[in-house]
Amino acid sequence: MLFRASVRELLRHPLRTGLAVLGVAVSAAMLVDMLMLGGGITTSFRELLLGKGYAIRVTPRGTLPLDTDATLEGADSLRRAMAADPGVAGVAPVLAVRLTAAGTSALALGVDPDEQGVYRLTGGREPASGEAVVGPGLARDGDLAPGDSLVLVAPAALGTAAAGRRTFRVSGTADFVYASREERSVAVSIADLRGLSGRPDRASFLMVRAAPGRDADAVARALSRDFPGVAVASASELVERAGRRLSYFRQLAVILGTVSLFVAALLVGTIMAVSIGERAGIVAALRAVGISRRSLVAALAAESLVLTAAAGVLGLGLGLVVAGRLESILAGFPGLPSAVRFFVLRPGPLLVGYGALLLAGTLAAVVPAWRAASGSIALALHREEP
Amino acid sequence: MDSLAFWLLLPALALSGPGRPAGTPQQGLAQDGAAGPRAGTPCPPGLEVLVERGFASERGLGPGDTLAIRPRTGASACAARVAGIFEPRADPATLTRDRPRILFHLPQLAAFTGRPDEVDRFSVRLRSGADTAAAAERLAGYLPGARVLPTAEVARRSSTTFEVVRRFHRAIALITLVAGAVFLACIMVLKVQERRGPVAALRLIGVSRRTLFAWILAEAALVSVVGGALGVGIGKAASAVINRYYRGVYGTGLTFSLVTPGTVEQALVLAVGLGLAAGAAAALHLLSRDPLLEVGR
Repeated sequence: MLFRASVRELLRHPLRTGLAVLGVAVSAAMLVDMLMLGGGITTSFRELLLGKGYAIRVTPRGTLPLDTDATLEGADSLRRAMAADPGVAGVAPVLAVRLTAAGTSALALGVDPDEQGVYRLTGGREPASGEAVVGPGLARDGDLAPGDSLVLVAPAALGTAAAGRRTFRVSGTADFVYASREERSVAVSIADLRGLSGRPDRASFLMVRAAPGRDADAVARALSRDFPGVAVASASELVERAGRRLSYFRQLAVILGTVSLFVAALLVGTIMAVSIGERAGIVAALRAVGISRRSLVAALAAESLVLTAAAGVLGLGLGLVVAGRLESILAGFPGLPSAVRFFVLRPGPLLVGYGALLLAGTLAAVVPAWRAASGSIALALHREEP
Repeated sequence: MDSLAFWLLLPALALSGPGRPAGTPQQGLAQDGAAGPRAGTPCPPGLEVLVERGFASERGLGPGDTLAIRPRTGASACAARVAGIFEPRADPATLTRDRPRILFHLPQLAAFTGRPDEVDRFSVRLRSGADTAAAAERLAGYLPGARVLPTAEVARRSSTTFEVVRRFHRAIALITLVAGAVFLACIMVLKVQERRGPVAALRLIGVSRRTLFAWILAEAALVSVVGGALGVGIGKAASAVINRYYRGVYGTGLTFSLVTPGTVEQALVLAVGLGLAAGAAAALHLLSRDPLLEVGR
């Protein structure tokens, strides 16, 4: 009954109600977007790091994967030693070298095709010696498909002899997990890339899979202790570091999310204050016939709740549309892996946000409702007299 | 004379490596590069360095101190004298960089890392009146594989991040604007509806619609101006807080938030414009109704 009465009252003023719902919906949309942005990038980055089960990264000390040209010396023996650890299920070496492929600048990754976590094949097969797997950007720009030839020129050969130049056969196409949208990527066997670039026994980083049932953080700590000459970081640590670098977005999300909630409450409070003020006579009459103050406040708060709930649902839809647009803007960040998302829909925070919105909207009506229900009945009825 | 005319980037070398946007200006070398120092390279005599202020204060370093530096992990350390502390130029492109910078004399760095006759890039200054594009094209021919970029292009590439952030802020501002406009429209509708009775009475005693319309509009303008001015004040205060906070976080003198006269003008024009539009719409709606019905007759 309370619900029906609330809806009826709201429908009596379609223009006012429509504008209020729209206003709260826009604020709710902003709140939804900020909730998605708040933890979106770390969630997305974590999924990216753990995508193929490699939860630990080993890099030269003081660096992060693909952050510098620094490389690990004696990478093969380091790999073997780490693979012998009982907490480790597999170790994938990666050597990254920027070179020229099909006449354009590209990032070449040297991998062990049997143990790698940097790309997912989309066509063809894994590269054998003398073969390469190309990413979508390079395949498009170089008009490459499995079976084609691809010339790679390593930096050492630029402007000098042809020592760093080699022709590969394209064995497959792949999506490169850490490649940015604009990046052109190619993967060959690590032995081939070492030979081509003159980096024997080097790797840019190692990707380590923890053994089933073992905690990756604990394995990372153990490896860090056993191999003090290198930096060992678990996915959690890397996510935390990435989060620190992108803390601006988290802070922005908190500030704008709070402001959105405040604006929504302010709008609902204003609408309800005016609406209740208009019905001061009715409220007084109801009190005069014995309706309790608490029931009246509950009825008016329910009206506000209905308004906020409807606007919240509309705001969710609006927020998802806007998030898509904002995501497309932020996707332009240079060097950002294309799989990373800034706006990630997470049911938990969304439910909390919706609850906070309902609470704010309902509480915003309580103060004017209580004031109306607490005033002098005689005075209110007198004012209503024509 | 032109100042810095263009950069010549050598992709072969360590500091323009994978994962970093091409053209990011870098100084010094603290890690082992891809080409790597040669084993057994002796320490260059009289090795001295300049240390970035932030790192120096963090580690308590000052001129005359000795720093043990290694060209790569596990290599033997060389003793370098701290010749001075330098304040890096405030550069938003290096804001989130967490590795300290150390400046070397180029020949000493080359000897220290065992990479003689190598550089990451050249900065080329042109003679006054020289054609930048033609010079870049000529220079590109000297070293196949190297990129010769006008400084403007380097600046454009290195500011891509900020361009993205600017576009993101504009989008957020647009949403805020829509929310503000709807809020304003709501308030105006409420205010106008609140005085349906008095307005109807005024019409019945002969006050013209035009006068009443102007009255409502003037009130809308007043509310908008006061609200806009309050908003500008809050914006300026928030801007000061943002600058104070982020300057502290990043240890820089950069300005993160700037309220310019243009921004203020834009905000006020928008606030008043939207307020007037909302007021006009609400007034027209009210004045189109029958005053007798409004007073209940």
